[in-house]
Amino acid sequence: MKKLLTILMATIFTLSAGAAIAGKYSKQKVIYHVNYKDPKRQSAALRNIQNHINAVGKENLDIRVIMHSGGYTLLTRANKDMAMQQKISNLKDQGVSFNICANTLRGKKIDYKTQMFDVDEKDIVPSGVAEIAHLQDQGFSYIRP
Amino acid sequence: MIQEQKFSDEFLNAFIDNQLTPEEKSDAFVAISQDESLNRRVCELRKVRDLVQLACTAPPPPPIHGASERCGLWSRIGFRSIAASILGLGIAIGWVLHTTTPHQIAPTGHQVSALTSPLPAKGIKVLLHLNSGDPERMNELLDEAESLLKFYKKTNQIARVEIITNGGGINLLRADTSPDPARIKRLYRDWNNLAFVACQNTIDRLEREQNINLVLLPEAVVIDSAVAQIMRRQLQGWAYIQV
Repeated sequence: MKKLLTILMATIFTLSAGAAIAGKYSKQKVIYHVNYKDPKRQSAALRNIQNHINAVGKENLDIRVIMHSGGYTLLTRANKDMAMQQKISNLKDQGVSFNICANTLRGKKIDYKTQMFDVDEKDIVPSGVAEIAHLQDQGFSYIRP
Repeated sequence: MIQEQKFSDEFLNAFIDNQLTPEEKSDAFVAISQDESLNRRVCELRKVRDLVQLACTAPPPPPIHGASERCGLWSRIGFRSIAASILGLGIAIGWVLHTTTPHQIAPTGHQVSALTSPLPAKGIKVLLHLNSGDPERMNELLDEAESLLKFYKKTNQIARVEIITNGGGINLLRADTSPDPARIKRLYRDWNNLAFVACQNTIDRLEREQNINLVLLPEAVVIDSAVAQIMRRQLQGWAYIQV
């Protein structure tokens, strides 16, 4: 009973704290551009996104991770890395989209169904760069961590 | 009145001879990048100056380098023709004046307009920024640009793409370091909605620090500052993508 109460208290505290912080920001639409294969930098990008959500609140965010060129390795690495899978799934649960460039899949001869972690057909965009340009036209901000 | 005074031939000559204060120079760059006729006047004056220098010292035709590249292809054609027909200053100036009629400029008009008309009625405008001298990144950039242009063509979308380079990225447009000048030439020829831009600050820095007499590819145009241009472009509604 005591334990349950503690959890309940903690939850209320977290939620209210979150709401208080989130109140600082209005809605944001953001592109995270990943076109590099450096694993450290890719992991840092995922961390940046989580911090972004923590600061602004998931209800205020429309985040699109656009991967192309060397950035595709984020999802091929995740295919063999449980910790990364968890991070990506967590971000997806908070409303983050992960989009991969069809040109890159073709160029690198990647079968997204077997070689990548959790990619659906709707996650594939015809051209990563064109998608980024399009989203900026729709008012998205551009971040390349 | 002020406008007229600001852009007198004297002022523009000072600009060409790099005798302005940094603030004046920066203002001039912005004005020139937004005004096609002003851009042509600067090109004309620069060419006259180059011809005068040529006539005074009578050296072999100078190599194409940063200073003369600001006017891009147009100036390249100028130099070639001059080298071929060095019949005297008078004739040459006459020829220059002749070639500055709008009709003559038309073939390379897109290169100027790529930097001067900020807001076409509609269409997608994409700025691809390269600041790395890594040859792999350079080739990737050219791949991206080409597939992007093909994509817009295939999907019937009006688009303009500007490749802007500074720092190590300028190696892409340097005649001595470019990984694939032939490809740049071909891309430039095939796509009249594509521009290659180099940063004057980077050129100045390289010339100062490494004493390099920078020779750019004829497809390149020069802008005052890549960072300033990126900000201007974003304010003008261009999408920004770092490659």
